[in-house]
Amino acid sequence: MPPTRSGLQKDVLKLYRRALRMVTSKPDSVRPKFSLFVRYTFHQNATIVSPRNVSYIEHLLRKGARQVEQYEDPGVKDCFVSHQMVEWDARRQSK
Amino acid sequence: MQSVLATARVNRLAFGSRPFSTSLARCQAVPQQKPVLLKEFKIYRWNPDEPDKKPELQSYKIDLNQTGPMVLDALIKIKNEIDPTLTFRRSCREGICGSCAMNIDGQNTLACLCRIDRDASKNAKIYPLPHMYVVKDLVPDMTLFYKQYKSIQPWLQNSNPPEKGEFLQSPEDRRKLDGMYECILCACCSTSCPSYWWNQDEYLGPATLMQAYRWIADSRDDRAAERMDRLQNEMSLYRCHTIFNCSRTCPKGLNPAAAIAKMKLEMATD
Repeated sequence: MPPTRSGLQKDVLKLYRRALRMVTSKPDSVRPKFSLFVRYTFHQNATIVSPRNVSYIEHLLRKGARQVEQYEDPGVKDCFVSHQMVEWDARRQSK
Repeated sequence: MQSVLATARVNRLAFGSRPFSTSLARCQAVPQQKPVLLKEFKIYRWNPDEPDKKPELQSYKIDLNQTGPMVLDALIKIKNEIDPTLTFRRSCREGICGSCAMNIDGQNTLACLCRIDRDASKNAKIYPLPHMYVVKDLVPDMTLFYKQYKSIQPWLQNSNPPEKGEFLQSPEDRRKLDGMYECILCACCSTSCPSYWWNQDEYLGPATLMQAYRWIADSRDDRAAERMDRLQNEMSLYRCHTIFNCSRTCPKGLNPAAAIAKMKLEMATD
């Protein structure tokens, strides 16, 4: 049986799914960069906030939705990947 | 010859050999000091970078005699001299850009058009626009408001433009737009409307509706029927229950409620 999720959890996962689908709409050459950006942002925000802090999670959801909407524009063809993101990814890969 | 030189020297001494700032009279004058008039401002603070902190009111005391007359002057003074982290939107400081809309002492208004109450015994409370999501401190999230404005297609639509030159309009037709075209979309009226508070997602709100009527009333626009068709449902327009908070709060002195009433009349009669 799949785990029962709260509405807020579903909303977060829905936004994560939408962001990952945005990644697939980008050209092949830059897709890893977009993917890393999305994964890093979600994981990072998930670590800084307590799961009980509902109002702040809702704030992050609104902010994220605005951001994803901008990234979904076909005019956006590249994104910035910081040094920290690359290191974070390398650490996750080595685990 | 001698006497000519002597008068020249006297003239030179009389004119400007000593500026007023170094003169004896200046030294003896005591600059007039205005008394210190401290007033407390309580301002809503919330920083998204500190997730564990709840929103709070922070209090600042400033000397009104060293501040400009408007609330925006006080905010800028606080930001410059006391707390540079205070965040708010402002641009024109003369009530034409609509950036500094906020809730001051319970009234939605533009900070740049709102005089500071000189009564120093009472504090002034400043909040962001009510029932809007807060981005930081006094900055509300206006995304939805602008989306709603976009949904009414706020531009001139006419399928047969004049062959030469511009659209012509009679003075009477032009007069119909007075009191509507002046709107600066500060969102003071929409955020004071209880109907808009509870049904933001579907009800368009007074500011947007007044702009919708501004284009319906325009004699140069020939899509009035389509525009009204789009509003012909339970929520978009008819959630307006004639509460009149919008007209009462408008910092530009406009009357959105009247525009909505006229639009309802037109939609009911045709």
